[in-house]
Amino acid sequence: MEKKKNNKKNISLVFPNRMYLFAVPALLLFCVFWVFPVLQLFYYSITNFNGINYQYDFVGFKNYITLFREGTMTNSIKNTLIYAVIIVIGSNLLGLCVAMVLNIKIRGKAFFRTCAYVPALFSAIVVGFIWSYVYMPDSGLIASFLTLIGLDGSKFNLLGNYKTALYGIAAVEIWKSFGTTMIIYLAGLQTVDESLLEAGRIDGCNEWQLIKKVKLPLISSTITINVILNVIAGLKAFDYSFIMTNGGPGKSTNTLMFTIYKIAFTDQMMGKASAFSVVSFIVIILITIFMLIFMNKREVEL
Amino acid sequence: MKRKRIGALALTAVLVLSSLTGCSKANDAGSNSTSTSESQATSDSKEESAGEVTKDNITITMMYSGTAAENDFETEILPKLVKEEFPNITLEVTKLPDDQYYTALKTKLASGECPDMILVQPKYAGANSVIGLAKAGYLEPLTGLKAIELAGVAGRESFVYENDVYAVPSGVTMLGTYYNKNIFEENGLSVPTNWDEFLNVCKTLKDAGIQPIVMGDKDMYVMQFGLYQIAANQVYAKNASFDDQLRSGETKFTDEGTWDKVLEMYKSLYDNGYIQTSSLGLGAQQAIQKFVDGEAAMTFDGSFNAAAITAKGAVEFERGYFPLPGNDAGTDLYAAMAMGAGPAIYSGSKYIEECKAILEKWFDGESDIYKAYADSGRFVVTYGYGADKVNPLFQPFIDLYNDGKSFYWCNQGWPAGTETEMEALFSEAIGGQGTSVSDIVNGMQMKFQELYTE
Repeated sequence: MEKKKNNKKNISLVFPNRMYLFAVPALLLFCVFWVFPVLQLFYYSITNFNGINYQYDFVGFKNYITLFREGTMTNSIKNTLIYAVIIVIGSNLLGLCVAMVLNIKIRGKAFFRTCAYVPALFSAIVVGFIWSYVYMPDSGLIASFLTLIGLDGSKFNLLGNYKTALYGIAAVEIWKSFGTTMIIYLAGLQTVDESLLEAGRIDGCNEWQLIKKVKLPLISSTITINVILNVIAGLKAFDYSFIMTNGGPGKSTNTLMFTIYKIAFTDQMMGKASAFSVVSFIVIILITIFMLIFMNKREVEL
Repeated sequence: MKRKRIGALALTAVLVLSSLTGCSKANDAGSNSTSTSESQATSDSKEESAGEVTKDNITITMMYSGTAAENDFETEILPKLVKEEFPNITLEVTKLPDDQYYTALKTKLASGECPDMILVQPKYAGANSVIGLAKAGYLEPLTGLKAIELAGVAGRESFVYENDVYAVPSGVTMLGTYYNKNIFEENGLSVPTNWDEFLNVCKTLKDAGIQPIVMGDKDMYVMQFGLYQIAANQVYAKNASFDDQLRSGETKFTDEGTWDKVLEMYKSLYDNGYIQTSSLGLGAQQAIQKFVDGEAAMTFDGSFNAAAITAKGAVEFERGYFPLPGNDAGTDLYAAMAMGAGPAIYSGSKYIEECKAILEKWFDGESDIYKAYADSGRFVVTYGYGADKVNPLFQPFIDLYNDGKSFYWCNQGWPAGTETEMEALFSEAIGGQGTSVSDIVNGMQMKFQELYTE
C-alpha cells in the first residue's frame, strides 16, 4: 500500500522519471568519447607509454619532474601567456576602435564592415601560409616595401628572430580574429540607447566622455565575452606556431598546445605528453577561474 | 532530490569503474598481442617448410603513407598487377597522409585490426619505425626471403631487429648538394672533393657577390640535410657503429671530435655568411624557390625533392648534384644515403604466406610489378631492372653506395625526437642566442638518454 503511494508521488506530468532514460544514449556517448579519455589521460601521465607498445611501465611522477627540470613547461607557459595577453589586448582594442568607427553614419558602412570581417572567414592554414610570404625575408611583402621606400629590407626577418617571432605570429592571429571581436562589439554598441547619449550631450559631455562614461559601461557584458573568447583563443594557440614557425626559431614559439603535439607525435612520448596536458589543464582552469571572478566583479562595479 | 544525488553518485561510480576496467583492458590487450606474436613466431617456423599459398579467393589489405598521385603505383598499378600474378588474391590498398597514417596505424594495431601489409621506416625513424613495431611484436620476420637477399647488406641492416629482418628494403634516397652548373662555370669552379675545397668554392662565390648556399631553416628539419652529410664523413666513416655504441653507452654525442666537430663545421657556413643570414625566417619551399630562381648557387636537399628543384624558375640553368664533401683532404668521401620506407607484414595477419608471395614477386628485380615499381621513379633502385637507368643526377651517389661508402641518415639510428632537439638547439646557436656547440651536444645527449628506454 505504502509503495503505491510512493509511486504516485513521484510521477510528474511535466517530466516523468523514466524520461531520464532518454538521456542515457547521449550520456553514454559523452562518457565513452570524452569523460573516459580524459580520465585515461591522468592514468597515462604516470606511464612511459609511447603510443605503440602496450607493455609500458609506471614511472610515477618522473614525467612531471622532467618537464619542469628541462624548462619545457616554463617556456611554453610563458610563451602562451605572452601570446594570450597580446591577443586579448590587440584584438579587443582594434575590434572596439573599428566597431566605434563603423557604428557612426558613414558612406559605405556595410562595405567596410564586410572588409573588416573577411580575414575571419579564411582558414588558419591559408592565413598562415599567406602571412609567411608577407613576412618572408628579402623578397616578402614587407621586406620589398621597406626596400621600396629606401630602408634596408634585407635586415627584416621577423619570424627568424628569437625576440620577434612570437609577436609576429600573434599579429597574424589579431589580424584574423579582430573581425569577429568587432562584430560582437558592434552588436553591443547598437544596444546602447540613443536617448542616453542625447541626455549626456545635453549635460555637456564631449565625445570622449560619452565613450568612457556611457558607452563602455553599457557594453561591459560585451567586453567580458570578448575578453574571455580571446583568452580562450590565446591559450589554445597552436595553428600559427605549427604553420608559420614550427615552434621555432629554437623553442621561441612553442606554445602549450604545440608542445603537447610535439612531445606526443614527434618525440613519441604519449606518457610525457599526457603529463604535460594535465599540467596545462590545471593552468588553464586556474586562469579561467581567475578571469571569471575578476570579470564578474568588474561587471557589477560598473 | 535525494534520488538525483544517488543517481549522480551511481554515475560517478560507473565512470570510475569503467576507467579502471579500461586500464586493465589495455594491459590485457598488450599481453595478448605479444602472446599471439609469440605463438605466431613458433607456428611460423613450422609453416615455412610448408609455405603453401592458398587457392581460395582472398582479400589482402595494405596501408601506406603518402599522398596518392595520378596513376599512383601503390593504390592503382600494384593491385592490378597483383591480380594478374595471383588471380585469386585481391589487394586493397589505402594511402593516407603521414600524420593520419601514424594515427590510423596506432589505432589499428591497438585494436588488433591491422591491415596485412603496412609501410614501416628503417631503424628508429618515425612512429612506424621497424624497431619500434618489431619490438612490440607487431611484425612478421621476413629473413630468408629472396627479396631481402637481393637488397644488399646496407638495405638489410636498415630493417634488422634482433637478428631478423622485418621489412623489404625498397630502394635508396640520398642527401646531397644541388648546385647551379652555370654559376659554377662562370666562376671557373668545379665540384669540390673535400671540405677545404668546398669552403673555397663558397668563398669564391661570396667574393663574386653571389649567395653561395640558400637554406630554409624556418622549417628546421632541413638542417639535417647538411649535418648528416658531414656526419657521414666525420663520425660514421671513422666509427660505423657509433649509434649502436650510443645505445650501449660506449659513445656519447659529447665525445670530442665527433658531433662537436660536425656541428662546428656546419656552423662555420653560417658564421662566414655562406648560408644566407636570414635562413631562420625562410621556409623550405621558399628556399627551393630561391635556388630555382638562380638567386643562390647551392642548396642542401634530398633526392626526394628532385622534382621541385629541377622545376622551371625565373632563369634557365643546368642543375648538378654532389655529395657534400665533409671529409678532410686525403680521406675518402662518404655519402648520406638511406633506405626508403618499405612494406612489412603484420604478425597477426591471416595470410602471411600470401603476403610473402606478393612481396617476393614485387621485389624480385624482374617481374612486371618490379618493373612498374622501378619506373614509378620515386626510389632509386639498386638491383635488377632499372638499376642501369638511374637519373644522371644521382650517379655519383650510386657509385659511392656500390663501393660501400655511404651511411644511413643519422636520425634513423636515434629515437625520434633527438634530431628535433638538435635542430632547436642549432637554430639557437645560429640565431645568436649564445648557445655553443658544447651546449648542443649536451642537449642531444640528454634528450637521447631521456628518449632511449631499454
